Amino acid sequence: MKFISNICSSLWPELSGELKGRETQWSIDSSIRYPLLGMIKPAAFWFVVSLIFGLIASIKLHSPGFLGSCEWLTYGKVEPVFWNSLIYGWLFNAGLACAFWLLARLGGAPIGNGFLLTVSLSIWNVALVVGLIGILMGGTLPLNWRESLTVSGQLPYEWLEMPPFIAPILLASFIGMGLWGLLTFRERVHRASYASQWYVLAALFAFAWIYTAAQIMLIREPSQGSLQYLVGSWYANNLLMIVIVPLALACVYYLLPKALGTPIVGYNHSGRAFWSWFIFASCAGSAELINGPIPAWVTAVGIIAAFGILYPLTVFGIQFLSTLFANFTRIWDTLSLRFVLFGCIGFIVFGAYYIYGSLRSTQEVAQFSSFSNGVQLLGLLGFASMIFSGFLYFILSRLLNKELPSAALAEIHFWMQLSGVLLLVSSLITGGLQEGELMNGSTVSVLSIVVNLKSYYVMASLGMFLMLLGAIAFLVSFTLFMFSTRSEKEETGTLIGESPELEASVS
Amino acid sequence: MNRGPFIFVGLFIVLAFSWANLVNRPIQQSGQLSAIYDDSERKPRIAPGAADQGKLVYQQMGCVSCHTQQTRLTVGSDIDRAWGIRQSVARDYVGQYPALIGDRRIGPDLSNVGAKELDSEWHHLHFYNSQITSAGSNMPSYSFLYDVRPVIGQPSDRALDLPEGYEVDPGYEVVPTRRAEALVAYMLSLKVDYDLPEAPSPEKIGL
Ligand code: HEC
Repeated sequence: MKFISNICSSLWPELSGELKGRETQWSIDSSIRYPLLGMIKPAAFWFVVSLIFGLIASIKLHSPGFLGSCEWLTYGKVEPVFWNSLIYGWLFNAGLACAFWLLARLGGAPIGNGFLLTVSLSIWNVALVVGLIGILMGGTLPLNWRESLTVSGQLPYEWLEMPPFIAPILLASFIGMGLWGLLTFRERVHRASYASQWYVLAALFAFAWIYTAAQIMLIREPSQGSLQYLVGSWYANNLLMIVIVPLALACVYYLLPKALGTPIVGYNHSGRAFWSWFIFASCAGSAELINGPIPAWVTAVGIIAAFGILYPLTVFGIQFLSTLFANFTRIWDTLSLRFVLFGCIGFIVFGAYYIYGSLRSTQEVAQFSSFSNGVQLLGLLGFASMIFSGFLYFILSRLLNKELPSAALAEIHFWMQLSGVLLLVSSLITGGLQEGELMNGSTVSVLSIVVNLKSYYVMASLGMFLMLLGAIAFLVSFTLFMFSTRSEKEETGTLIGESPELEASVS
Repeated sequence: MNRGPFIFVGLFIVLAFSWANLVNRPIQQSGQLSAIYDDSERKPRIAPGAADQGKLVYQQMGCVSCHTQQTRLTVGSDIDRAWGIRQSVARDYVGQYPALIGDRRIGPDLSNVGAKELDSEWHHLHFYNSQITSAGSNMPSYSFLYDVRPVIGQPSDRALDLPEGYEVDPGYEVVPTRRAEALVAYMLSLKVDYDLPEAPSPEKIGL
């Protein structure tokens, strides 16, 4: 098979650093320890917060009386707070922490500019708190506040619900973080670049671009009526497909060879997979707008683009899964790899559902149901969140030069996250298909559909609850990591020796 | 692929392509739509001021997480459910900012809810507690949009007529706040019951 021969011919960036080995790594890690921990702390916090909101929203669908009299926690507010804190809180902080760590490590030299990163990420997180409170406050303000800049009512665009005045602050702080990434890449010692670096740079650039475009076209110079719907969905699709997914892909490309000690199978297909992913995924979102009040050809383009994703998806599937399965016995013992294995499987399933969901015939059934939320959560929680979790365990012990404080907690995190995602996503997807069949395919009253779907709503809540337990286990685990005292072995700095697995890639 | 600039330029082109084709071109094509006047009737209609404030409440409460405002003709059962009389088209949303089109339906579509036989009394009871009008619904209660206050002198004529099992303490009454009044006015203003030349309807396509 071609791919097997590719193992041998895999393109590897050459080693050209001056300092070698653990000493360099240690000096790199020390140079970024402070800002990176500054991102992992809020990440762990947001992970728990977002799932608390997710759980509240989910419970409200089967028991609407739950926290029912509290205006701040009405369903229409907790639901967007869940999504926004999940994405901009947990996935952005965790994803960027992983991405920056691998940029620094692959660059091969200690990094300065920590101040820039620390300031930007602090502003990002503070702005996020304010923005989410803005969503929650949406209604408590008297009507005549509507003219004021601060609270103008929740915006109805997916993942852009935060008050408009927050957007420039978020963008500026993101650009600060992105600049840090760019400088790190520029100052690298190893001139050759590796797939992980492309994905990180691309994701940084893509977010700055789509966020600016969406803000201008929705808020500063709003486009007309139904076109806002188009811009909003273009943004949300791209946020998922060309910002968050690439960050997670970067981690997979880095972690697999590192932790397994073998190169990625078929690595030389990575360039084509990279470009085709961005070309197709950035156009595929409009498939869901089918039969809406927008030009029909736009959705047709979306459907075609969604099919284009098949190519990079196949490449990723073959690369990741063959690399993993070639070393299957080692996966189970390494926690990070177990996360990555299930994350990769989650990604393939996500991609398949994404393409399936863009078919005309699927949309006829599933449009406006929980199906598409299920697919999005599969990508966000089943893929990105799994990968980032595994990667964080991998980098934390290196950053802090400590051993995992409690294997049991990490196991709980793993199993809760896995079972929670399975329950949540399967209830949203299968429940969504059933919901759609009743909503779109019959005239059964909405009231009886709601009653009919109750068991799915309960299942989704259970899934959210399990995920929340997992997130809490991660938070506790991380806190122990931070505060545990170092053992003698850890003190001497030899904990992470030059194990063969770390020699597999650049640094 | 060793150079950063190559990635940036390439990506810039990819994203520019996506944006230009999927966002900018439709805007150039149909972004200049305007309302049409037909027998001196403006289409789409202009909602009264109170409805405008109600729309803000609708936004603040995030009703869009559960309700769309768009109907489809050739697929789904929107027309059979009487959620609309025809396909929604771009011109229906002219002048709306933000347009509350939505993409998630846990409850019914609301684009034409004002044309239904639901009066303001029904809407108030429904918002106060959806169980009163629709037992088993998971639509949240918006009771915080209502004041419970002691009856002083004559009971208010705006007080809700709560059925058995939902009454408040004797001597008290439930009165809609301005926000509740505005929200109901917005509901009653939502009417897409007019025809547009470009909008497919069951009659036009012979369904
Ligand atoms: C959790 C999801 C949810 C939210 C949030 C929600 N609704 Fe509903 N809504 C429903 C469901 C389900 C029904 C159908 C059953 C019923 O009549 O309660 C419904 C029905 C309605 C109806 C009756 C429509 C008809 O054709 O019978 C109106 C009007 C309505 N909602 C308005 C609103 C408004 C205004 C808001 C925001 C303040 C809102 N809804 C928020 C779920 C929701």
